[in-house]
Amino acid sequence: MSYSREDVKAITDKVLNMAKADAVEVRFAGGERSATRYANSTITANLVEHDQEVQITVFYGQKSASTSTHQFDDGSLKSAIEQAQELAKRRPDNPELMPPVKPPQDYLAVDGALPPAVAFGPAERARLVKQSVDVCEKKGVLGAGYIPKLHWTDALANSEGLFAYYRYAEASFILTCRTPDGTGSGWAGTTGLKDVTKIDAAALSEVAADKALKSRKPRAIEPGNYTVILEPRPAARLLSLMLFSLNARPAEEGRSFMSGAERGTTKLGQKIFGENVTIRSDVGNPILRQTPIGPDGLASRPITWVEKGVVKNLFYDRYWAKKQNKAFSPTGPQQSLVMDGGDATIDQMVKSTKRGLLITFFWYIRPVEQMTLLNTGMTRDGMFLIENGEIAGPVQNFRWNDGPARAFNNISMLGRAVPMHIGEAYDFPGTALVPAMKIEDFRMTSISPAV
Amino acid sequence: MPRSRRHFLQSLGAGAIVAGAPAWAFARTFDPTREPAPPVRDPKYREWSTVALAEAKRLGCSYSDIRFTRNRAQSIGVRNGQILRGGGGFGGGDATETYGFGVRVIHSGVWGFASSPLVTPEEIKRVTGIATDVARASAIAKKRDVQLAGVPAYDEFWQVSIEKDPWEVPLEEKVEHLRSVTSTMQKNPAVMFAVASMSFEHEWKYLATSEGSFIEQVFHFTSCDADATARTGQQVKTRSYGQLGGAGYEFLLKADMPGRAERIAAEAVEHSMAKPVERGLKDLVLLPSHLGLTIHEIVAHATEVDRIAGYEANYAGTSFVKIADLGKLKYGSKHFNVSADRTFPTGMATVGFDDDGVKAQKWPLVKEGILVGLQTNRETAHLVDEKESRGCTFANHWRNYPFLRMPNVQLEPGPKGSPTVDQMIADVKDGVLVDGSGSFSIDQQRYNGQFGGDAFWEIKNGKKTRMVSDFTYNAITTDFWANLDAVGPPETWEHHGLTGDAKGQPVQSNHPSHGSAPCLIRKIMVGAAYA
Repeated sequence: MSYSREDVKAITDKVLNMAKADAVEVRFAGGERSATRYANSTITANLVEHDQEVQITVFYGQKSASTSTHQFDDGSLKSAIEQAQELAKRRPDNPELMPPVKPPQDYLAVDGALPPAVAFGPAERARLVKQSVDVCEKKGVLGAGYIPKLHWTDALANSEGLFAYYRYAEASFILTCRTPDGTGSGWAGTTGLKDVTKIDAAALSEVAADKALKSRKPRAIEPGNYTVILEPRPAARLLSLMLFSLNARPAEEGRSFMSGAERGTTKLGQKIFGENVTIRSDVGNPILRQTPIGPDGLASRPITWVEKGVVKNLFYDRYWAKKQNKAFSPTGPQQSLVMDGGDATIDQMVKSTKRGLLITFFWYIRPVEQMTLLNTGMTRDGMFLIENGEIAGPVQNFRWNDGPARAFNNISMLGRAVPMHIGEAYDFPGTALVPAMKIEDFRMTSISPAV
Repeated sequence: MPRSRRHFLQSLGAGAIVAGAPAWAFARTFDPTREPAPPVRDPKYREWSTVALAEAKRLGCSYSDIRFTRNRAQSIGVRNGQILRGGGGFGGGDATETYGFGVRVIHSGVWGFASSPLVTPEEIKRVTGIATDVARASAIAKKRDVQLAGVPAYDEFWQVSIEKDPWEVPLEEKVEHLRSVTSTMQKNPAVMFAVASMSFEHEWKYLATSEGSFIEQVFHFTSCDADATARTGQQVKTRSYGQLGGAGYEFLLKADMPGRAERIAAEAVEHSMAKPVERGLKDLVLLPSHLGLTIHEIVAHATEVDRIAGYEANYAGTSFVKIADLGKLKYGSKHFNVSADRTFPTGMATVGFDDDGVKAQKWPLVKEGILVGLQTNRETAHLVDEKESRGCTFANHWRNYPFLRMPNVQLEPGPKGSPTVDQMIADVKDGVLVDGSGSFSIDQQRYNGQFGGDAFWEIKNGKKTRMVSDFTYNAITTDFWANLDAVGPPETWEHHGLTGDAKGQPVQSNHPSHGSAPCLIRKIMVGAAYA
């Protein structure tokens, strides 16, 4: 399903005309989510989901309430509106409630829905699976992969006259190859591509299959602190662990990594990471082509969060900014996220390493201690020992206990930033531009025979 | 012959890109003001189901089903007495509603699935066509046909019985209940933040299959949570208490957040001042509130047949358990008895029938430490040479495809007269008592887990001495359960619900329960995360 600007405007106008309150806000989300999944080199699921939803929020002074419905006929919309009105009137005042954002908001022009991605259907996905499985068979491994596609529209309208609209289409190709005897596993993938012609299923399958073959029968080595080379996927997961801390409120409330030593203070302006760490929200980035609509419908602009290791900005929502007498942020930390890279290749990183680990994937990362960003996680799907600048062979997976607070002070080389999802799954927007990283002194704490 | 992509896109409705909203967007579907919930045995759904099943048959599908669901959810959160707005504008007593259907078919030996929120006979027919097209398109990358275990046809209605309908409790009463909890916690001056929340979900589900089943089910889910956060110096700690169950408002009242609030606050403060635990091998006394997640991660997931067979290799992972291990693998000590159970009252994964139309059942997974059972559905039963499914198919939304999800997986209590928590503590020289769940992580084959908790007390020479911080333990699954030295008696067994169990692609969240009695586990490595 495709929802044009006119389609959506007609829906939000209809709700705004029906709903009576001091103010009304309508969020629309809808479109197609499709996916093809395969395992043991055969398709196991192929699906097309259509969904549409409006979230309706009504405001009465400092009271508000929201309801949602997926049906847009008069009866369903009327019911949702009346329920929101009733809930809002029965709620206590909320001093943190901010009025809807007023127009005009000057959104950057972003074309997120390129025709090949919009048209990317189940038959094309099945063909990519066939290409992948053919490579797997040639190499003698089993392929398990996932090709998600989103063709989605997000919009926000309010009774002040604001109308924000963004439609995008993107796809990913991710696979894990395993050797039939279960002793080797390899991963490769690319995510969040607006230009789906860049998906090369055969090439990615070669990478994953080769990793699976090369990782067979890994040997156990001692846990300890290692130089690690993180390919873009584990690097993206590591980057994700610091995003929450960019919120000003928990920092100023004294409950996040960005909190200062004294309650109410933060690390803004302090150098907390190495000189080579710069993290930005590059709204309008021509590769990411992500939403130009910020929190509450504000027009987003590029912002630098960390520059050369120094905290340059924290995210202030409109309420917290008003309370603290600061400027609010029209851009959230997850929007169009870019970590600046360098020009090193993985090969150069390996050649420069006396003893270390080449890591393909991080798995099941969970926080251990929020104030220090200490997290734990596992390596997975191909880890290799490096000795004297060369790959010495596969090694068994490690559990690690570390995090960006230490690791981003220990980056010695950076690769070119490439699109990679920062989340555990790949289903929602969340692709950033992330470089491979060489990090010194990363803490591996125990071993696992899991392959 | 697979249909062309162009044909597919036409059937998908790309022609809807016209000025103004497409007519179908306003198609009359369902009026909640006049139809507060689809009435039991409404003949409309049998009629509409028949549209899908007949169309699938006409298109040459060897199997088809259609599943309608309608979910209503409400969540309310209060922080320091102030009502919260959660992500997406929800959380402050706001309500969400979602209604739609999904059609699943097998054509050319492959699954196809499509779904829509536009519940009309015309759309049902169209979506059935899409599901069939998708299956046909997939056949080019097929190695073998889907093979389903047999199932009897059922024509039944089943529902979760509740004492008090959460939807009939006024919003004001719910908010007041939460405010009383945060107010009690805030009486402790060292508490920075006091948060209390509750949420409810009502689900109606109607499944019709080409095997002849017409099954209607009604579910209720209730959960509550109370958290207090305290900071001493740079140490910030949150103490949490929560309960989830397949039940009504009575479940929340029994959870008694107001009665526990003072203790939650005091323990948050004590934890923020606590000294780190000494590292090393220690005996652990684990309470049921903690064990739920451990059972989930290193028993329940490891015994899912689809994982074992490689279906989840690209995401959730595989398993250290092999099918050939059935009846042989020593999973734990003789005290270790685990059951899978879709029938347990108040269980979060309790159903009358699964989303394949298989009747709910209870069966053993581990008996006296030996692996004796696995979790299957119709698609995977043949992999363990079983003729019938164990009934583990589930989809969390009408929009999503059903696949193998874990049932309630419960650790059976020890026999009458088994040691209580106090007796376990008395039997420990150097150990830790652990309550609640915290940081948790496990490898993709479920060998190496690292688990934290919510609150920890040092045990020295048979006595609980002081609260400690910086606690995690490392478990290699079979070694961990091999060191299980005692399980509490039946009267100490507790049910604990869980949500957010992620699996599948697109990822879906499941909500099982994992009950247990307190356990004593010997010689486990503690504190390595903070070394």
